[in-house]
Amino acid sequence: MFEVLMYDGGVYRTEELIELVEDVGGVIIQKTRSSQMMTVTMSIPEEDKEVITEFCREIGGVVRPVPLAGTEIAVVGPTLGRHHMPHPICDIAEHLRRQGAITVVMGLARGRGKKTAQINLEERMIIDEYDAAIFSLGNFKACIEAKTDLFSEIRVPTILVAGPMPDGMEGKCEAVVSGVGRRASRMRTPPERAKLDEIADSVEMVLKDRKRLLDEDPLSIHPAEIKRLLEEYEPVNMCLRPAPVVLHLDGLRVKIGYDEHHEDIENMEIYGRRIGEICRLSPSKINDSSIIIKIKTRSEVRHEDSGREGADDP
Amino acid sequence: MEIEVISDEGFGGTSYESLFVEIMSDVGKAFQMEKALLVLKPEVPLFIFSVRLRSEPADKTIADVASIRTENDTIHITVTDERYEANILKELWERFGRGSVEQQTRFDMEVKGASEGDVGPITVASGEEYLKEIVGAIWRSMPEGIKNRHTFIKEQTITVVATEEIFEPHMLEEGMAYHMKMAEGGKDV
Repeated sequence: MFEVLMYDGGVYRTEELIELVEDVGGVIIQKTRSSQMMTVTMSIPEEDKEVITEFCREIGGVVRPVPLAGTEIAVVGPTLGRHHMPHPICDIAEHLRRQGAITVVMGLARGRGKKTAQINLEERMIIDEYDAAIFSLGNFKACIEAKTDLFSEIRVPTILVAGPMPDGMEGKCEAVVSGVGRRASRMRTPPERAKLDEIADSVEMVLKDRKRLLDEDPLSIHPAEIKRLLEEYEPVNMCLRPAPVVLHLDGLRVKIGYDEHHEDIENMEIYGRRIGEICRLSPSKINDSSIIIKIKTRSEVRHEDSGREGADDP
Repeated sequence: MEIEVISDEGFGGTSYESLFVEIMSDVGKAFQMEKALLVLKPEVPLFIFSVRLRSEPADKTIADVASIRTENDTIHITVTDERYEANILKELWERFGRGSVEQQTRFDMEVKGASEGDVGPITVASGEEYLKEIVGAIWRSMPEGIKNRHTFIKEQTITVVATEEIFEPHMLEEGMAYHMKMAEGGKDV
């Protein structure tokens, strides 16, 4: 069994840590440097946890388990106006980042109001690129119940965070966390931190269900293996955007232009197969500066292979 | 500040009461309010926020917010209300030049070559501006999507009635009724 841990500390001797992780057969999921500080998210074999933890302590960092590592989550508010931002949306996003997730904050163009709130197709498609979405709505039960259209047609798992507990949410979202509505200050008291933990737990539970579904028909290759390959690709290596390759449960987001690079990536080889054969590449709906890679499942690849063999037969 | 909330929404009512206090404190207006009434009807939707101020908005002069004394040819000003300090400095610099105005401590300034009669009546905050700030603070505390707003102002009482789309006559009548009760200072609101 692999365990996902996050190292948080100085950059001092982190190269050695990375080598050690690779020596024990682990994978670096994310490496983020900010000035002299470094955060490394890694997946390591459970039996080597002691060695890694000991080394992290030796170089002066802290290491802790991160249940949401390897996921990208969208935290969506009705708008990006001061009524919803930075609290509680940024508080939620920050807390999920501490649990290892990569998070983005989104505001809808016309999500405010009760009767006039709406989401358009483009926004829906952007949200569908993530592993899960958290919708943060306000304080009034009547408004929240009238605004379910905002998230009821989102395909990825959705968690609703709102002040009061709304009725009739069955089938419209995967989980509801109540007690967090519109706020004017940071969530810093113990009960508020407990609420943030509750949100993170809900996300973890929802993603566990998604992972269970993926286990029924596993991916043809683990996203981290494609990530390792992509990191050697020069445009990715030279990319200055934070976290140029982001892992998803069923693929990756690569922050380089689709038009320029998709053919190169499709033609890369891994375990004797072209990436184009085992993955679907598409431009991100946000803009064309990112590529979304969805990994095909083993059964899909087998089915396509058998179709190809059938066509090749005379 | 005394706050009264009229709402059928349990969570919404309680949270808007604390939101209102927090926002008014953030923008520095809470202490100027004597009473606030929040009528929350998200099911309509209709929101009526009414506040009664401690004093009627009026122009403030340096003499109102500072003590002034003369020594030889120098005017000494001791600011008693720090909120107006930046404006006092700005006005003095504009009228007498930076070379004639010296800020000795946080609250004390000296002006050379001026008389008490020149400095005292200088307006440092207009009542209109003050009113605008109060209305802005009320708008800020209201829900975001409730954009159609009507404001009633009578002496110290300001009432904002807001809905999402079209105002129906009964909404404005209801807003006016609460406004009048607040303006009369009735404790039965």
